[in-house]
Amino acid sequence: MASDKLHIKKLYALSSENRKFSFSLPLKHSIRIGKRDYEVKLKADEKYGTYILWKNRKYPVEIIRSSQNKYEILFNDISYTFTVETPFSLQRMKVLKSSRSKIEQEIIKAPMPGKIIDVLVREGSTVLRGEPVVILEAMKMQNEILSPVNGTIVKVLAKPNTNVMKDDLLVEIKL
Amino acid sequence: MDLSGKSYKAFIDREEALKKQYSAKNAEKQHSKGKLTAHERINLLFDAGSFEEIDAFVTPASQPVEFGKVERTYGDGVIAGHGKINGRLVFAYAQDFTIMGGSLGLVHSKKITKIQEMALKMGAPIIGLMDSGGARIQEGVASLSGYASIFHNIISSSGIIPQISVIMGPAAGGAVYSPALTDFVFMVNHTSYMFVTGPNVVKEVLNEDVTSDGLGGAEVHARKSGVAHMIYDDEENTILALKKFLSYLPSNNVENPPVVADDGSINDINEKLRDIVPDDPNKAYDVKDVINQTVDRNSFFETSELFGASLVTGFGRLRGKTIGIVANQPKVLAGVLDIDSSTKGARFIRFCDAFNIPILTFEDVPGFLPGVDQEHAGIIRHGAKLLFAYSEATVPKITIILRKAYGGAFIVMNSKFLGGDFSFAWPSAEIAVMGPDGAVAILYRKELAESKNPVELKKELVKKYRDKIANPFIADESGYIDEVIDPAMTRKKVISAFNALNNKWVKVPARKHGNMPL
Repeated sequence: MASDKLHIKKLYALSSENRKFSFSLPLKHSIRIGKRDYEVKLKADEKYGTYILWKNRKYPVEIIRSSQNKYEILFNDISYTFTVETPFSLQRMKVLKSSRSKIEQEIIKAPMPGKIIDVLVREGSTVLRGEPVVILEAMKMQNEILSPVNGTIVKVLAKPNTNVMKDDLLVEIKL
Repeated sequence: MDLSGKSYKAFIDREEALKKQYSAKNAEKQHSKGKLTAHERINLLFDAGSFEEIDAFVTPASQPVEFGKVERTYGDGVIAGHGKINGRLVFAYAQDFTIMGGSLGLVHSKKITKIQEMALKMGAPIIGLMDSGGARIQEGVASLSGYASIFHNIISSSGIIPQISVIMGPAAGGAVYSPALTDFVFMVNHTSYMFVTGPNVVKEVLNEDVTSDGLGGAEVHARKSGVAHMIYDDEENTILALKKFLSYLPSNNVENPPVVADDGSINDINEKLRDIVPDDPNKAYDVKDVINQTVDRNSFFETSELFGASLVTGFGRLRGKTIGIVANQPKVLAGVLDIDSSTKGARFIRFCDAFNIPILTFEDVPGFLPGVDQEHAGIIRHGAKLLFAYSEATVPKITIILRKAYGGAFIVMNSKFLGGDFSFAWPSAEIAVMGPDGAVAILYRKELAESKNPVELKKELVKKYRDKIANPFIADESGYIDEVIDPAMTRKKVISAFNALNNKWVKVPARKHGNMPL
């Protein structure tokens, strides 16, 4: 890993809302957002942990989870998820996007038998990937059923206080 | 330099011809599919300049009967050799799709078996980067026997050296069993497929319409079949993740896992652990928060993340030493043990046991998943695998009961009398034969039926059950667990317990092998 960092690498951070930021390794104190460069400094000390210094103000930042190039960070108490891409992986993403047939609909089914406690979305509302849509009580535990995609809710079949069987349709999402 | 010397000229010519073979045109073909070439993959995987190729100039075996075209190329569609990954010796082979579709002929397979035998002899991990159209039809049975000898070598090396497959293109028919036999399978999303029979045959025989991706894509194998352990969105990240993954593993079954420097950023006494488990036993939480606050910072590497997700498995480090982690995940299906999670856990534990990796278990399990679906699919037989694996493992084993520990699932999750070395419990633990609601309904059925206010009575009895039975103190006072600990002390306790177990030695009676309920 150390050898990778010796030469400068240009990388991109792609947020879950498809915003793109570019930066280079080793990290210089500037980040390009859109067409402008911003000066930021990444620092750490005993008292604040890791923080970003921007315009003389400190913004605490913490990595909650990371798995290879996927990161979930807590910045100013708001969590963000993003992936880090190299020029090649970004190019690959474009190649695949053009060749893949697009899936337009996602159906959320009950993962196991249980009782619907709450439905958190309405028809027409938008959801982001990882947002809870339904709360299902099963095995005496309240389970959050999360949206696997970003999209718009087209149909809500789940009703609070009703029992569902495994694989019953709960929500339909249009991408 | 004067190269008019005859032997040198032939040597140089051959080198030139080999270089020409890997033309930019072929590379472009791979790139346009979003794939890298075999050489690019090898270069990404190994430390710069450390890879040494063997058998680069072999040519395809002669055909028994002229049928179809065979290109007379060097290497026979596979690059094999050894090199250093993060300074450690690793053997690898990479199939080259640009040469005869990476198809497996006799010579191709001989290169692979040669490198497999070397890896076993040297006690070093072996990695297969697969991108192949399958058996070379022109070579007939010779190519099939090639597959068989590759499989046989994998099985002979199993449990002696770590064997990892990375699927970077198609793997169909017999080819799928080579990765299936290895310890871990990495796949690249959208460009790799694995299936025993492809979509065309499925359509012909069963009249079912399905795409390659839908039949055996990375997502399918990571989520549904459990064949793929790790999937990533592109090849670069797959290879980088693989390099990180290797840093947790020993080179063979005699060595201990490598130790890395711990930056000391996680305190041994960590108060954050006190606030993760909610007071309400019906509320879920993410057990990965518990794991991340216990192991060295950012050291948790999850395996089979999407498959059987009600059980979390993965590697982590404690003061720089590798441990295997198995944890019930209350956030997914309440953390139940079902068929998928049991088999996933069992396989992971057996890997850890084979490669001297101590196992840390976080337990919060309401039980095995009930229902016709699971019973008919054989939850008894599959759950038994997990039981078998835990009990059979002789590496140091520590359990921390976070909350629920009920019934059969309590026994299975590395309980003390199943051979667990240390059993700790948080004060929030509930250890009993069954949950309060179930127990009360059985023991006080008559009273509840006759009561004028059954709801109130039940509530009262549940509270009594929780106070008197479903807590960690009775188990502690009677020696069924070792200690009830303050959650904040978890890391400290676990580190010192693993240190105490450092020289653990178990005498195993001689036998050919146990009879695991497969």
